[in-house]
Amino acid sequence: MYKLFTLALLLPFIGFNQGFQVNFQGQQQQGMGGAGAALPQDAAILFFNPGAACFHHSNEISVAVTPVISKGTFLEDNTNETAHTTSPVGTPFSAYGLFQIKEESKLKLGMAIYTPFGSTVEWEDGWTGRFALTRLKLLSIFFQPTVSYRLTKKLGIGAGFVYSYGNVNLQKDLPLQDAEGNYGHAELSGSGNGFGYNVGLYFEPTRHLNFAITYRSQVNMKLKNGEADFTVPESLNDKFPDGKFTSSIPLPSVFTFALGIKPSEKLAIALDANYVNWKAYDTLAFDYENNTSSLLDTKSARNYEGSIAVRLGAQYKFTPQITARLGLAYAISPVQKGYVTPETPDNNRLNYTCGIGYSISDKLVLDASFLFTQVKREDTNLETNLSGKFKTLVFAPGLAVTYKL
Amino acid sequence: MKYTYTSIALVLFTALVSCKPKIEATEASMGDIDGSRYIAIGTNNTSGFSNDGLTFSGQDNCYAAIIAKQFSAVSTIDFKQPFVSAGSIGFNIEGKSPLKLGNKTDCKGVTSLSPVRIAGAGDMTQLMNQYAGYGPFNNMGVPGMSALSINVSGYGNPANGAGNFNPYFARFTSNEANASVLSDAVASSPTFFTLMLGDDDILSFAKSGGTNGAIPAANGAAGVGFSGSLEEVIISLTANGAKGAIANIPDVKEYPYFTTIPYNGLTVDAANAVTLNQIFNPVGISFVVGVNAFVMEDPTAPFGVRQMVEGELVLLSAPLDSVKCNGTGSVFPFRNEFVLDLDEVAEINTKISEYNSVITSLSQTYGLALVDAKTLVHRLKSGIVYNGVAMSSAFVTGGAYSLDGIQLNPNGQALLANSFIEAINLRFNAAIPYANPIKYSGNIFP
Repeated sequence: MYKLFTLALLLPFIGFNQGFQVNFQGQQQQGMGGAGAALPQDAAILFFNPGAACFHHSNEISVAVTPVISKGTFLEDNTNETAHTTSPVGTPFSAYGLFQIKEESKLKLGMAIYTPFGSTVEWEDGWTGRFALTRLKLLSIFFQPTVSYRLTKKLGIGAGFVYSYGNVNLQKDLPLQDAEGNYGHAELSGSGNGFGYNVGLYFEPTRHLNFAITYRSQVNMKLKNGEADFTVPESLNDKFPDGKFTSSIPLPSVFTFALGIKPSEKLAIALDANYVNWKAYDTLAFDYENNTSSLLDTKSARNYEGSIAVRLGAQYKFTPQITARLGLAYAISPVQKGYVTPETPDNNRLNYTCGIGYSISDKLVLDASFLFTQVKREDTNLETNLSGKFKTLVFAPGLAVTYKL
Repeated sequence: MKYTYTSIALVLFTALVSCKPKIEATEASMGDIDGSRYIAIGTNNTSGFSNDGLTFSGQDNCYAAIIAKQFSAVSTIDFKQPFVSAGSIGFNIEGKSPLKLGNKTDCKGVTSLSPVRIAGAGDMTQLMNQYAGYGPFNNMGVPGMSALSINVSGYGNPANGAGNFNPYFARFTSNEANASVLSDAVASSPTFFTLMLGDDDILSFAKSGGTNGAIPAANGAAGVGFSGSLEEVIISLTANGAKGAIANIPDVKEYPYFTTIPYNGLTVDAANAVTLNQIFNPVGISFVVGVNAFVMEDPTAPFGVRQMVEGELVLLSAPLDSVKCNGTGSVFPFRNEFVLDLDEVAEINTKISEYNSVITSLSQTYGLALVDAKTLVHRLKSGIVYNGVAMSSAFVTGGAYSLDGIQLNPNGQALLANSFIEAINLRFNAAIPYANPIKYSGNIFP
């Protein structure tokens, strides 16, 4: 009898950057459109290409943060009603340490900590899509101990083991009203972990031209002990029991082919092509421990498709202290027609980036970057029938501090 | 200097954080219509009757009021309704209070959520005429009004007697002695009107199990047949150039009132099967353990009783407690008033189709927008999902019909309003924004 409520409980997922991927792992690379797998010049190379880390000459520690301001608007086609996001500023961060046990060793060791997926999306109170989503917070932190080995003067390989920890908090209203007019609410929260790897190959045939191939594996984040918390009119409490749930989110693999071109000592150009295997995200399933006639396990089609991103950037060293960077990236959205949700009003996008590096001393370097992008998407979701136009503006200024040992 | 940079950065940051992307909306427009004096004529759903009663909130959320609200997003209009007092519990003319969801313990001692009356009696003080203080009214929806009665003079006069008097109209007639619903509507000189008529003629037959007289003929003069009565309304309203929209008649059998109890909802255990077979085998009826068709009275059957067959309907008015505990629908067959047999179902189908032919043809003749209420009701049967909210004709939980299983609740009324707006936009080159059904309430849970 209450079966129809369950349709409204199909639960989706996240983010504001090509699916829910967040490409803020290195300030120098961010300044250049996110490219740099074939341009080892800072410790962030541990993320971009473990195989090239052994070609970066200094031992260093680096920390960075990129506040992401994303502002979304939704215009519902039928009613002309507009809603805005009230998402808090996201804070993807990274920390890298890259070391050589002794000078002239071919082996380099590194530790990388970064947040490649996740953000918080929150829509204003009472918005028309409230029964699809009110708030979604996804956080993932990857820990990646890495070894990088220089096979020859021109060829390096590297591999990192990835342990990931993540947590998620998803909230939406339920179309069940009590006498005071309050709607029901569902909150699902949980944490989980997963494992993966990051491997890369770097080839430097000449001083002017470098190649890179890297592969970051898929990581399946398993939420084992999620807490489902339902607020419903009292008479329906037994239909929506609070309890445990399990779910799993695939964080997709990324294959990268990259070129690094250095026409002169001062100028460097980076060109990366990524293939992100979003096909892994075809279904989002929730398995509730306490099922009732209203609370059934759900399987929600996502049907993401593999997507490609091309990133191009350049840097110019104006003085030994100051380097300026510019970049562009074009990313194809994995989100197909009919599957656009308020968490991922995603579409093909052009990212504009710039950055600047400033060496305060031989030991201390500051790198800053800025990204701007605008995403427009129009769709009618096949599951919720939410129909309208989304527009999202993203501004992401970032700052890194690097200390050379 | 450093301070200045920091300030600039802060100002920029604040500007970024507070900006909101803009998306241009399609410009709203009334097209070829003037909605400034909008009159709605109809019956139950038009009046906002719901939960088996007339209440302020039902009236406030009827489709006509929602259409008026959508008009007002484009142009200025004033839409007046003969409201029940906002603080009143409401009433129906049987003297009852409206329904709400509450706990009810059945004959077997099982307590569950069911529609129950808000109070022992309705607030009958609300029957007072209020034309003097608040009229004339834009909403001329009269619960239980036959399309043939719309031009009956003194339709608000108790002295006229049953059929020619309606207490709901008595609440807001301009002149008890000689005003008709139509004469009051015309007196308001509408610039635009909506019609939803004939549905109650079908419904009053259907919900009485076919015991409440015949459905009036589709064709015939005003006051005699549906076509003449309806045409008289349209001619009167369009005489001064008003434009309008008319809704067709849904298949009322798709309302929860007719779909909730299956014809074969009689579950029999082994002991009962033996008893029932002892009683009924002599008249040629036998029962099996498990699911069986209910038994109903049928004067044409050999012994005056028979089992129901597929396609026949048990009405929600059937006494469910007696079904569970006292053998109603089995030992004591359903009386005619609780079921629609195949002949009655066929009669309903024929009349709906004839009425709808009349509506379609008159809408073409007089250039009215034709509103497809029938398709909306049919789609609700399989379920509509609007912005993640599933609405259907499932009783109570479907969320589109009120607790009486016949009239729409505010969610459903908004869907119906949108069917009107869709037809109006199409017919009159208008771009009136649709109502957002999920901003209207559904059934309230305790």
